[in-house]
Amino acid sequence: MTKIILGALTVGLLSAGLMSAEQNAKRTVSTVPRTADGHPDLSGGWTYAIDIAPVALKKVINGQTTTIRVDQSARHGVAENIAGTLPWTKAPSYKPEFHAKVADLAAQESKVDGVFYCGRPGVPRIGSPRRIIQLRGELIFLYEDISGNTFRTIPTDGRKHRQDGDPSYYGDAVGHWEGDTLVVDTTNFVEDTWFGEEGYFHSDALHVIERLWRVGDNLAYQVTVDDPKVLTQPWTNFPRLIKPSNVPLEESPVCKEDDGHRLLNLDHHLQR
Amino acid sequence: MTRKVLVASCTLAGLFLAGSLSAHHSPSAIFDMGNPIVVKGTLTKVEWVNPHIRVLVDAQGRDGSSETWQIESQPPSWFKHVGLGRADFAKAIGQAVTVVGVPARNGSRYAYLQKLTFVDGNSIEVERGGGETKP
Repeated sequence: MTKIILGALTVGLLSAGLMSAEQNAKRTVSTVPRTADGHPDLSGGWTYAIDIAPVALKKVINGQTTTIRVDQSARHGVAENIAGTLPWTKAPSYKPEFHAKVADLAAQESKVDGVFYCGRPGVPRIGSPRRIIQLRGELIFLYEDISGNTFRTIPTDGRKHRQDGDPSYYGDAVGHWEGDTLVVDTTNFVEDTWFGEEGYFHSDALHVIERLWRVGDNLAYQVTVDDPKVLTQPWTNFPRLIKPSNVPLEESPVCKEDDGHRLLNLDHHLQR
Repeated sequence: MTRKVLVASCTLAGLFLAGSLSAHHSPSAIFDMGNPIVVKGTLTKVEWVNPHIRVLVDAQGRDGSSETWQIESQPPSWFKHVGLGRADFAKAIGQAVTVVGVPARNGSRYAYLQKLTFVDGNSIEVERGGGETKP
C-alpha cells in the first residue's frame, strides 16, 4: 500500500513538473516578440560588446561626486542556465604542430596583433552586433568598433555562400532559422585576423557559426569556430547574454594608434 | 599661458596605482606607474581619436621653457558609455587645468591620465571598480 501511495505521489509530482516545464516553454515562446513572418524579432539596439578597460569614472561636479562604470556583461561573464546553449570549452584545441606558434603569437600579442594597431577584428572577435535590422529574408548587423564602424548582411532566404566573393575581414555570411534560433554561417575570411585572444590564428578555412536567440528582453549569443587546417575539432565558446541598449549607434572616431613605438616590453592584457 | 610640471609626492603613488590604463596593452609596458606626476598648464587641444583620446597641455618646464604634454586616456567608446564627450574636455581649451598622470618611461612628454581638474574645481578621475553600471 505504501508503495502504491509513493508511486502515485511520484507520478503526480513528475506530471506537475512536466506540466510546469511545458507551461514555462509556452510562456517563453509566447513572450518572444515576432516579426510578421513568425520568426523571433531580434531587431533593436544591443549592449556594446567590445572590451574596454574595467575602470570607473569618478566625476566631481559642483562638489557632488558620482562614479560610473560600463557594463561589460556582453563581453565577459558566462550566461548561465539559458536553454539552447551548446556545450562549450575555454579554449580551442590546436593541432600539436601549431602549439608553439600559438604560444609565440600570444606572447608577442602587443606587437603582432593587428587589433592593437587599429586593425579590423574580424568575426567573431568583433563580438555581437550593436544593432540588428531584421527584414524579410535578410538581417543587417551593425557594429561599433575602434577600427571603424562596419556592417554585415545576413541573407536568410535560402541562398548558399557566394562563390565569386573575395576573402574579407567579416567574411561571407548566410543565415537560417533553426526553430527560434538564428544561425549565421560565415566563411571566406582573410587570414590576417585572429579569432580570439592568446594567439588564436586561423587559416583560409576558417568557418564561424554564430547562434542568436531571444531570452525574454535579452539576446543570447554563442559562437562556434572551426578550422580543420589548424584545429583538431570545432571550438564552441561560452554563451553570452546581451542586454538591450538605447545608447545611440554613432560613428567611431578615427583610429590613430600612437603607443606601439613606446612599448618597452610585451606586457598586455584585456584583448578580445 | 604656461604652468608648471611637478613631480607628485610619494604619498600620491598609492592613489594612482589604483587606476587602470589602456585596454590594449599593459600600462607598465609604457608608463612609469610608480612615479606619478602633476602637470599644471593650459589645455590647448583635444584629440578625440581611437584607441585613446589625447589632450594636449602646455606647461612650464623646470628651466622655465614652455613644453607640450600629451595626456592619453581611455577610448572614446568608454567615455561615451560613462556619459562624457569631446565637448566636456574641449570647453576647457585655453583654460588652466591640473592633470595627474603617470609618465611614459621613455622620457617623452607623454602621460596617462589619472585625474583632470578643471579651473572651476570640477574634476574627472579614472579609477578601478565600483559605481553605477551603464550599458
